[in-house]
Amino acid sequence: MSAPLIEATGLSKTFTSRGVFKRGRAVQAVRQVDVALAGGEAVGVVGESGSGKSTLGRLMLGLLPATEGTVRFDGRTLDKIPRAEWRTLRRRMQIVFQDPYGSLDPRRRVGAQIADGLAIHGLVPAGEQGRRVGELLTMVGLDPLQAKRFPHEFSGGQRQRVGIARALATSPDFLVADEPVSSLDVSIQAQILQLLGELRRDLKLALLFISHDLPVVRHLCDRVVVMYLGRVMEEGPAERVFAEPAHPYTRALISATPRLDPGKRTKRILLPGDPPSPSDPPSGCVFRTRCAHAIEACAGAVPALRAFGEARRVACIRAEEIA
Amino acid sequence: MKRLWLPGGFVAAILLIALLAPLLDLPNPIRQDIARRLSGPIPGSPLGRDEFGRDVLSRLIWGARTSLGVAFASALIAGAIGTMIGLVGGWFRGIGELLTVRLVDVILCFPPILLALLVVTLLGPGAATLILVLSVLYVPGFARVAYAEVLSARSNDYVEAVRALGAPTGRILLRTVLPNIAGPVLVQFSLAVAAAVVVESGLSFLGLGVVPPAPSWGLMIRGARATMEQAPLMLLWPCAALTLTILAMNLLCDALRDWVDPRTPARRPRLRLVDRLLPGLLPPAEPKPETVLDVSGLTVEIETPLGAIKPVEDVSLSVRAGETVALVGESGSGKSLTATAVMGLLPPAARPAAGAAWFGDRDLLRLSEPELRRLRGGAVAMVFQDPMSSLNPVHRAGDQVAEAIRAHQEVSVADAKARALDLFRRVGIADPERRLNAYPHELSGGMRQRVMIAMALANRPRLLIADEPTTALDVTVQAQILDLLAELKRETGTALIFITHSLAVVAEIADRVTVMYAGQVVEQGPVAQVFGTPLHPYTRALLGAVHESDAAPVGIPGVVPQPHAFPTGCRFAPRCAHAIAACSAAPPPLEEAAEGRLVRCIRWTDLAGAKAA
Repeated sequence: MSAPLIEATGLSKTFTSRGVFKRGRAVQAVRQVDVALAGGEAVGVVGESGSGKSTLGRLMLGLLPATEGTVRFDGRTLDKIPRAEWRTLRRRMQIVFQDPYGSLDPRRRVGAQIADGLAIHGLVPAGEQGRRVGELLTMVGLDPLQAKRFPHEFSGGQRQRVGIARALATSPDFLVADEPVSSLDVSIQAQILQLLGELRRDLKLALLFISHDLPVVRHLCDRVVVMYLGRVMEEGPAERVFAEPAHPYTRALISATPRLDPGKRTKRILLPGDPPSPSDPPSGCVFRTRCAHAIEACAGAVPALRAFGEARRVACIRAEEIA
Repeated sequence: MKRLWLPGGFVAAILLIALLAPLLDLPNPIRQDIARRLSGPIPGSPLGRDEFGRDVLSRLIWGARTSLGVAFASALIAGAIGTMIGLVGGWFRGIGELLTVRLVDVILCFPPILLALLVVTLLGPGAATLILVLSVLYVPGFARVAYAEVLSARSNDYVEAVRALGAPTGRILLRTVLPNIAGPVLVQFSLAVAAAVVVESGLSFLGLGVVPPAPSWGLMIRGARATMEQAPLMLLWPCAALTLTILAMNLLCDALRDWVDPRTPARRPRLRLVDRLLPGLLPPAEPKPETVLDVSGLTVEIETPLGAIKPVEDVSLSVRAGETVALVGESGSGKSLTATAVMGLLPPAARPAAGAAWFGDRDLLRLSEPELRRLRGGAVAMVFQDPMSSLNPVHRAGDQVAEAIRAHQEVSVADAKARALDLFRRVGIADPERRLNAYPHELSGGMRQRVMIAMALANRPRLLIADEPTTALDVTVQAQILDLLAELKRETGTALIFITHSLAVVAEIADRVTVMYAGQVVEQGPVAQVFGTPLHPYTRALLGAVHESDAAPVGIPGVVPQPHAFPTGCRFAPRCAHAIAACSAAPPPLEEAAEGRLVRCIRWTDLAGAKAA
């Protein structure tokens, strides 16, 4: 792999809620995560609610300050970049949100919102903004004439296209897509995913695709990172991880995914109980409380994310035995 | 826009008259004429003259200048400063919040009249002093409103999106946040102007505001009060002016708020009286005893400003004991509306226009509300998508389940509690004794859905309708809930109608499936057959959009049409790859393709043949 475009090392984020009378509770949303994306590479981040996958996306964009660890973008460490330069760097990293209703300003025409990035960074002379907005709308499969409309005049899938056009306006190199299709109908999901796949190829985008939908990630991404309670459980090429999951959590996740074809259904591994609270995670391996293979040693030290086969890493001390 | 004309014109007229006072040919408002003191309407003075013989109309108009000038000036100043303080405080939080919003809160500690008295004593009365006092008084109101709105606006994704674009803070505040908090600030402005007019009058009335003989509405009321018994009309004019101005201001600000918001408000359709009184004016149908629920030809009609729409049309489906029937389709296909119609829970604007829903020997569409209420939660139960909003947040989970039991059965509180405990155990809630006393917010999403299911099962229903019960849950929790439902169905023989948009979930749980599109059934049959050899192009397209096989998923172009714009022929034709001219000509009938399999497509035989060949 060539030098990564964006690389997170030892990234942690702790949210502390302060109270006047109550002792503050610290929620460790992301802990010791390493992720790297080469230019043009698509990496899927998979996990259930509370796994810290959305927080990871925002940390990598510098939208949230990290508690620990660093993010390097194009060879430069994010929190060491001077303010003015930061702003120009923002142009190169963008985000697409989950909720197509909350992610567009309801009071401004979509054309103006797409043009924001152009105006802020002075990318296109004011007179040509309209033309560029039209190009962007065409690129995401909308009619340039729709620039004059307000968000409420669009359907959910169309809004998501507008959100993508806005993110692409500044010609970014790195795009975080935070569950971009999970609130859409399946027929529309496929449209948006097709679009994202094409744009990634055509524009050589590095894509961090955050999702809880494993089959979607498998289709779109080169590599996948599986998270549970803020930690990375497993990482590797998407095909391989889904075909032969190494970590017990990945197995459970895959077996729980409903399948259309009864022939492809595997025996369901039901996880007992609920995920533990991120403010009070179990000692040692965070998954051990729900893991069928847990032994005493799992409660001891936090299992390191270690190499497992070719280009894969797994954080389970029993991965080989179970396989 | 239309709503803006009336109040806007009215306020504009008031302002124009006040502004143009010097140009109007009015008598001098302060010239006294004792001889004509308190005279009624006379030529040259249509509203009469006051206690010093001054022209009332002239004083009213000149007084408007002072009163409105003071009110608008102070509201504008307070609005500008207060909104800015709120913006800064809400955006930066921390020290910024302390220095702005909290500091301004100190003003709220002073009684307003006391503060006014203090300032007037220090600076002397006069219009300028009044503006200063009133501005200071209204700043905290604006600051608080703006602050609260900024807090809620800043958490929106679109604000995050502009941040991600690298916009400077000033641009975010002015371009993105300010327009989105404008509504409440405008309302606050109307309140401030109205209050300022009143307080100005009050202070002038007390002799602390505008200095006589300069005219102001407050001074006029003060003067008229003394001679109330001789000339009651003198009191009426300034009071009427005051009331009308404030009313017009309030109307204008309401209209402005609607105008600033580009989203058109949803208009509530009117409900015809006959629908309320006689909901069952429908053609009768025959009951079918072998099924638990038999819906036939159900049509739901909604009156809208654009005319009557039928978001559900001629839907038939049946479910036997111990069977699971899935209703599947995209949003807008009418699947949830079908279920709510069966439960008698349609929104007030909608009514079942045709068809029947036989539950045993009773037609659910024709039952009276009390009869339905006895059935709901009893023999027919429902589980919704969002367990958080379907559980009452202020009652303990166990009490809610016990209450559901006691609503349908005559048992003691203790017995009901014991039954609730059993149910909690049955739906797989860990540590059930403790969870009985938990509040909904203390439970996880999966646990809350289990409580909902326990509640639905409390009275051993013969029919359970589950509307997207796992959509809001994580996959591992979804797997738990699906297994639970399947197990309960096996044990109790409850008939289950499962509404979902996920085909994979249907494949996992259902025996038969009904595929809906744009309010109609397009295909129906056993799951294995429908998914194995789909007959309708829509079913095939839906299956093709699922990420399952090695082939890349293919989306369906376009969107589900809105009910008022349903195509006249086949409703799927505009999005269908196989559509021919005949498809758009006439609505296709629902044909029986094989035993137990229905399809609504005129080309299904061609397409099936082409595929086989």
